[in-house]
This record gives sequence, structure tokens and C-alpha cells, in this order.
Amino acid sequence: MRRSLLISQRLLIAVVVATIASVGVAYGASLGLGSKKLHAWNQTLTKGTCNQTSTTADDTYVQQALPTSTTGGAATTLTISPVAAAQDYAFIRFNLSGCSLPTTAGADSAVLTVRVTTSGNDTISLFPVTSSWSSSTLTWNGVSGLTIGSTATGTFSASTTGNKTVTVTADVDAAIKAGTLWGWELRATSGTAIVAIGAAENATSTNRPSMTLNYEK
Amino acid sequence: MKRLTNIFGVALTAALLSVGVASAASLGLGTGKLGAGSATVSGCTSSSLTTTRNVDNSGNVTQVNVTGVPQACAAETLAVTLQNSTNTSLGAVSAVVGTCSGGCTVTLTGFGSVSAANVNAYALSLTQ
Repeated sequence: MRRSLLISQRLLIAVVVATIASVGVAYGASLGLGSKKLHAWNQTLTKGTCNQTSTTADDTYVQQALPTSTTGGAATTLTISPVAAAQDYAFIRFNLSGCSLPTTAGADSAVLTVRVTTSGNDTISLFPVTSSWSSSTLTWNGVSGLTIGSTATGTFSASTTGNKTVTVTADVDAAIKAGTLWGWELRATSGTAIVAIGAAENATSTNRPSMTLNYEK
Repeated sequence: MKRLTNIFGVALTAALLSVGVASAASLGLGTGKLGAGSATVSGCTSSSLTTTRNVDNSGNVTQVNVTGVPQACAAETLAVTLQNSTNTSLGAVSAVVGTCSGGCTVTLTGFGSVSAANVNAYALSLTQ
């Protein structure tokens, strides 16, 4: 009698366990039918600074009056002129290869600084250049073969001498992704004066173009 | 007595078998999905994808590009969250992966005025 009671208790326990397991099966099935599949991951960014100086700068200016001249490549100042039939355009770029940025990187901020050494009542506009050029070979006639954006990235007034800054973040970001920064064409979009800015070859280092660059990669 | 013992053995076997089935169901065995609560790994990709972003001239994020998304992920929802250095969300956008041949590029826009300088990480997810 006592043994039968013990067996009955064991049987009851087994039935309870089986019932709980069955509920588990039902729950598992409901998870499989109702759940969403998820693949999640994180990409952490590395921040850095890679400021540009005259050692990585290349610049020149081209002259409408001397359409085949390349003398601007070695000039210590870059002339910008809006004078009809005697316009001068300046070109500035930086070699970012020393920054070791992959094309998946990007600019968080970039600011170009130039120093006006001869002032005049002009507004100077910067237009992004996205095709290759060299200061030793670029001429006025060669400018038509370049790819230059039609919308100015930024402007500055050349009415006083001294440092002028222009934010160029979007251009530099795009250039990092393209692999090369081809810089900007600087030309007067208003005014009548002939102005000048310091070139990378300028004897005074503070007169030379520079650019601050904060990046992510 | 012997009969009762047999009944007990059968019941115990059934219980263990049921537990095994439940476990298999939660793991998603047979479908290549790994269980984790109510979420399982998407079968369309197991690798981290390449993410880049574009900025405007003010340095604000204009779009995020996720490249190399396998074709098998088509119709899944790709969500991207921009995070700062403390993993706080600065903005989140999701889009449905389209169909494409080879690796797809998904472009997400509409993050608002989020400065790229404040973005330290991208948190991404693909869900069915």
C-alpha cells in the first residue's frame, strides 16, 4: 500500500514535468513564429587632426593677359584680378597623402586660411576644383580643361590685408572620399581691384596658405 | 509495481524529449538562426558592413551610406543610429534594403542637424 502510494507520487511528478515541458515547446514555437531576426553591429570612429601647411600646399595663378604663362607656379604671391581682359585666377590645393586617410574617412571640419598681402575692394570666391592640375604646368588656357564647380564654396573680402578664413568642410570631405584634394580656384566675383595673397613660396611663413583639418576614420 | 515503473520511465523520457524540443525551437535549429530571447541573427549577412557619411559645409551629417549589403538582405530594414562618445543617440534613421545585383548601397538621410564632429560611432542593425 505504502509502495503504491510512493509510485503514484512519482508518476504525478513525471506528469507535471511533462506538462511543463509541453508548455515550453509551445513557448518555443511561439518565439520562432513571432520573433524578428536581428543582425546588429557597431562601427567606432577614430578622430584626428591633420593640419596643412606650405609644405603640403601647391599653388599658382594664371593670367588672361599671358594665357600660356606658367610663371605663377613659382610666384611668392598669387594675384587675383577682375580687370576685363586681364583677369587673374589663383589656385590652391593641399596634398593630404600624409594624413593616411582611407576613402571611407571624412572631414569633420576644414578651414582654409589665406593671407591677403595686397588689399582691394573685391570679394574673392572659392570654387572647388575636382580634376588634376599642377602649379608647374597650369596656364590660363589650361583652366578650361579643368573641372570646376559652378557654386562657390565660400567667399572672403579682400578689402583689408591679413588672414582670411573660409570653411571648406564639404569640399575636403568629398575629396577624401575621392582620394585626392584638388583644391580651389580663387577669383574675384565683385570689385575692380587687383589683390594678392601669399603663396606657398612666400618667404614669410605666416603669409602662406594653410588649412586645419579635423577628420574621422 | 513493474508496470508502474514502466509508466514512470516513459513519462520521464517524454519530459526530457520535450525539453530538448523546446531548446531546439529556441535555437532555431534547422534554419541557421541563433536564438537570443525574441531576436535571432539575420541569415542575410554575418559580417560588419562599411559605413561612411557625407557632410554639408557646416559639418552636419547629410547622409549615411552603408555599402556591401548582400543581395540576400533585400527587403530587410536597415537602421542606423549616430552615437556620441557616451553611446547616446544623436539621431536615427531606417530604410528598407532594395533589390540589387551584388552588394547594395543603402543611403539614409534625414538625421537632422547632427554635427559630424560629435559622432563617434554608428550603431547598425538589420531586421526582417
